[in-house]
Amino acid sequence: MKNILLILIFTSMAWGETPHDGMHHTHEGHVHEEFVDGKKLEVDPERFDKFVMDLEDTQIAIVNVQGMVCDFCARGIEKTFKKDTNVKKVDVDLSKGKVLIAYNVAHEIIFDDIKEKILINGQNAIDMKVINL
Amino acid sequence: MGIRIICLLSVMSFGLDARPISYTGGSTIMAFSDNIKNSIYYHYSPSYKYSIGIEVIRNKYFNDNYSYVRYTYLINRKNTENSQRNLYFQSGVSSKGFDEFFYGIHGDWETRRLFVGFGIKETERKIQDYLEQYYQIGVAPYLGDYGDLHTWIMIKAKDNSLENKWSTYPVLKFFKGNVLMEFGYSKKTKWDIHLMYRF
Repeated sequence: MKNILLILIFTSMAWGETPHDGMHHTHEGHVHEEFVDGKKLEVDPERFDKFVMDLEDTQIAIVNVQGMVCDFCARGIEKTFKKDTNVKKVDVDLSKGKVLIAYNVAHEIIFDDIKEKILINGQNAIDMKVINL
Repeated sequence: MGIRIICLLSVMSFGLDARPISYTGGSTIMAFSDNIKNSIYYHYSPSYKYSIGIEVIRNKYFNDNYSYVRYTYLINRKNTENSQRNLYFQSGVSSKGFDEFFYGIHGDWETRRLFVGFGIKETERKIQDYLEQYYQIGVAPYLGDYGDLHTWIMIKAKDNSLENKWSTYPVLKFFKGNVLMEFGYSKKTKWDIHLMYRF
């Protein structure tokens, strides 16, 4: 049995894949615009409207996240971003695989920072769009 | 037929995950109870790739108490748009001495709708060594939004070499926010309960 376990472990390590880095496309515009790779942004309009309802002088980062398949495993994303004093509000959309982050308008949004925060939760941010309110 | 199903689940679930590691800086406390043991397990994750923790155990089969210092390592993770799969190595050294320990692998693959998981663990003890294994498959009857109560209906098959009897039984899993609860019941092995709080 020990040998079987060791074989399974080493085989799976050989199959190991590093987290997907993805492409970084940041551009401003309307919520229904497309990413530069042609994919629809696919933010639920009602959800977006509800999210921004009480926000002013804010920029919204809409982040495409891979691997965010359950509520329980997405909890860390919300916790991590809420520690950032530049962040006003966070929303997780499991059905679309999106994280919406509301930042102070003066804050410079850097996709690599967001990617790192998502990665330490175990998921991969693959794309981002910023919208100014 | 039973062996074929188990083999199929094993192949399906090979290379996958089971949330034994939290997000970086996160802590998790778990309570677990089945026919072999009752335990309380706390772990901390310095990174999303590994966790360290302590498990305090009441072993019902051998009628003794001990603790494990545990280490879990993420061997492999694959995130896609609609799924995540992981494979973990787990190990622990007993408070009874370095010659009492366990090691194994466990993993799962899940989408928002489907779940497949497995675990194999070899425990070395002075009294008797034993092997435990389980295979689990589940479906979410509805897709909840973030913050809702989430429910999974599952089937779990498990075996240990101490009793050498497979039991297959239904399991219900619920989670909401930072709390997860899992309940299974089998006539052979009675209750299988797992509670978890992440913070």
